[in-house]
Amino acid sequence: MSNASFFSTLKIVDLTGELGPYAGRMFSGLGADVVHVEPLAGNPLRRTGPFYRNTPGRDASLPFLYFNAGKRGLAVDLESEGGQEVLRRLCAKADLLIESCDVGYLNRLGLSYDALSAMNPRLVQTSITHFGQTGPMSTVPGCELTTAALSGFLYLAGIDNDKPVRAPDNQTYRMAEAYAAVGSAIALFNARRTGEGQFVDVPCIEAGAMALENAAQFWDLEGKIRRGHGRQAGGGTIHPCTDGHIVIVAIMGSNKVMWDPFVEWMRQEGIEEWREFDDPKWLDSAYRYSAEGYATFCRIFEAYTRKHSKLYLYETGQKYKVSVTPITNGKDLLENAQLQHRGFWQTVYNDALGGDVTYPGGPYEFGELRWRFGRNAPRLGEHTREILSELEYSQMEIEALATKGAIYAEHG
Amino acid sequence: MQNMAEGALKGIVVCDFSWVGAGPIATSVLGQCGADVIKIESITRPDILRKGEPFKDGIAKGMDRSGYFANRNANKRDIALNMNHPKAREVAIRLIEKSDIVINNFRVGQMEKWNLGWEDVRKINPRIIYVTMSLQGTSGPHRQYMGYGVNLNALCGLTARAALPGKVPFGTGTNYTDHVMVPTHTLFGIMAALLEREVTGRGQTVSISQLEAALSMVPSDAMSYAANGEVLPPLGYGDLEGVPHGIYTTLGYRQWIAIAVFSEDEWAAFKTVMGNPAWAEEDRFHTAEARRKNEEELNSRIESWTSTQYSDWLMDEFLRHGVKAGVIRDARQVIDDEHLRRRGFWSYLDHPVVGRTLYNRAPITFSKTHIRMETAAPSIGQHTNELLAGMLGYSEQEINQLTAEEVLI
Repeated sequence: MSNASFFSTLKIVDLTGELGPYAGRMFSGLGADVVHVEPLAGNPLRRTGPFYRNTPGRDASLPFLYFNAGKRGLAVDLESEGGQEVLRRLCAKADLLIESCDVGYLNRLGLSYDALSAMNPRLVQTSITHFGQTGPMSTVPGCELTTAALSGFLYLAGIDNDKPVRAPDNQTYRMAEAYAAVGSAIALFNARRTGEGQFVDVPCIEAGAMALENAAQFWDLEGKIRRGHGRQAGGGTIHPCTDGHIVIVAIMGSNKVMWDPFVEWMRQEGIEEWREFDDPKWLDSAYRYSAEGYATFCRIFEAYTRKHSKLYLYETGQKYKVSVTPITNGKDLLENAQLQHRGFWQTVYNDALGGDVTYPGGPYEFGELRWRFGRNAPRLGEHTREILSELEYSQMEIEALATKGAIYAEHG
Repeated sequence: MQNMAEGALKGIVVCDFSWVGAGPIATSVLGQCGADVIKIESITRPDILRKGEPFKDGIAKGMDRSGYFANRNANKRDIALNMNHPKAREVAIRLIEKSDIVINNFRVGQMEKWNLGWEDVRKINPRIIYVTMSLQGTSGPHRQYMGYGVNLNALCGLTARAALPGKVPFGTGTNYTDHVMVPTHTLFGIMAALLEREVTGRGQTVSISQLEAALSMVPSDAMSYAANGEVLPPLGYGDLEGVPHGIYTTLGYRQWIAIAVFSEDEWAAFKTVMGNPAWAEEDRFHTAEARRKNEEELNSRIESWTSTQYSDWLMDEFLRHGVKAGVIRDARQVIDDEHLRRRGFWSYLDHPVVGRTLYNRAPITFSKTHIRMETAAPSIGQHTNELLAGMLGYSEQEINQLTAEEVLI
């Protein structure tokens, strides 16, 4: 078998901050050379918590460490001519530029896609922004909360008149990044076949609107505005137990084959009033949505769940083939037997922090390709000298750029 | 020179056994980018989402009225193939011979039962990318565990933090992992294997664990616990960086606005839009630190003002002053949104049973190759004859025979 690999020769420039880093991380996880370009003051993500040992510091942001793992680091002032030339030379040799700059920013610096692709026609540029490159809102200031709001994603995270709640880890950013990685890969596939790169536009607002489940169709087909699931008895409802909560999907539609195992579970465990569940009324979604159906389900089921731990209910319910899972926190995740068995968590020593950091592992397994954690996320300017040397800058030129403040380089 | 009218994946054929949630979303994106996606269904085993709400005009009759199903299955061709018939495998083999990707999200072992596991398929076509999507991986004590998107939301840690402090956890209100985390990682895995095949000439397996894909997008809580021994609290609608940062009631039925202030300049602009009320000048709100300390009171002061305002006018005012703000839009408002309509995010496609209905494309646009919503979700077996007579090279007589024997149903 040949050792040739597409990813081992793939060169990526990653010009992202708080928005954008997971796209490049998906490529670095498969072995691509990803150069993370950050300003001299450091990527703002470095200032975002939670921090390692709860101590803020340039190398201690856990999100920065996770989303930029496997990348090399270059610190450059793109407002300076010297810095702009560095980015130009990087892009001349790259297959892919991933950036999350404000719309129009790179154009103002003379680093438009037209300019970069004139030097390197194979270059793919993927832009991750709040609202996209075109359309009436393209230059409006945005953040995660407002793109979640405007995309319709947030509206679903609540019931009746409740205000919505926010999902953790900036999900509209993560969604756009994941789709940006996909769009980049598709454009790279095309570039390989045609010799031509192209510009790929991925907005958070569209990524959020992609996650409306069936809410847009509820309006279009039935003229109904829906909110979140969570009040349909046994259809994704959350119930308390001794140490937290569990969620259960015991029924969808009028699917008796799903409901029967739940009734069997309740019978075998000798739940008081279990016979109430052995009734065709539960197969009728109107009853499950009714206040009475929900209250009845909670009364009987919770009399049982309140006596047990989430792990007990998880393992017992699953034994009966019922889709029940615990509402899990970080501690539960690290102790999860399945994830431990699969060696999912990656614990890697970090020099700058003088300790081990634990990270999520790979999201997929391949027959031949291999996901890897790779190197630790870069310190500020950690690889500036190495990368500039590869771009055929001499030692003297590198020192001159550093002196002028166009770059920041760790001492080699 | 590339023809602008073509998708980047033109020529790629997908043999699509996937159904319900994340699989069909992934293959739909491949179809939008020009791949020929062939969905394998049967009236003996329809995609169960065909029975999922909402239905055109609220009428659940038949197999073609579900919008839940439709939006995940545009741009596909559909072949009716009763896989439990012994003669079905021969048809599947001919399709696999012509395919680049074979994808399924069955429980582990189903494809093997049909003798269409990876080891069989690679003998039929060594260039196949063979995609499986298990819930929690194919090894380990919980490999047979069951669950839906809301179960995975809970299991990956998302639900616990999508909550108001002190209240019961809530989550996203949807089967979130099915819509984004699982399909995007599946798509990236597929594209990685396709790119790799350009170099090696060989296909390979791509195996997604839905839980592990989900965890890769909610890393903080577990990382924080490992680093600091602390479980992170629920977010409510707050943020570590911004203050004020929240959701505020405005005029109207279930109308709210999201507002986020990250810098002192933005706080000054925020006060300007409020008309510089005296309370906002008090020491308690002077610095970000002070505002965070008094966040509850800050939010209630803000809300007593926003609740007399229209959310859309307020958003315009804030944006004009450089403050990040957004109406909490319901689906109708998102469908009506000028920005998304101008960007061509929504499409209306024609279907013989339900007429012209709403779809959305993937959140990706390319400058040279198309991403296109072309044909409405297919009926079961809509393309059986066309595919068998065309791509698969069956004679009319053979097709009639297979239909009579209830293979093509």
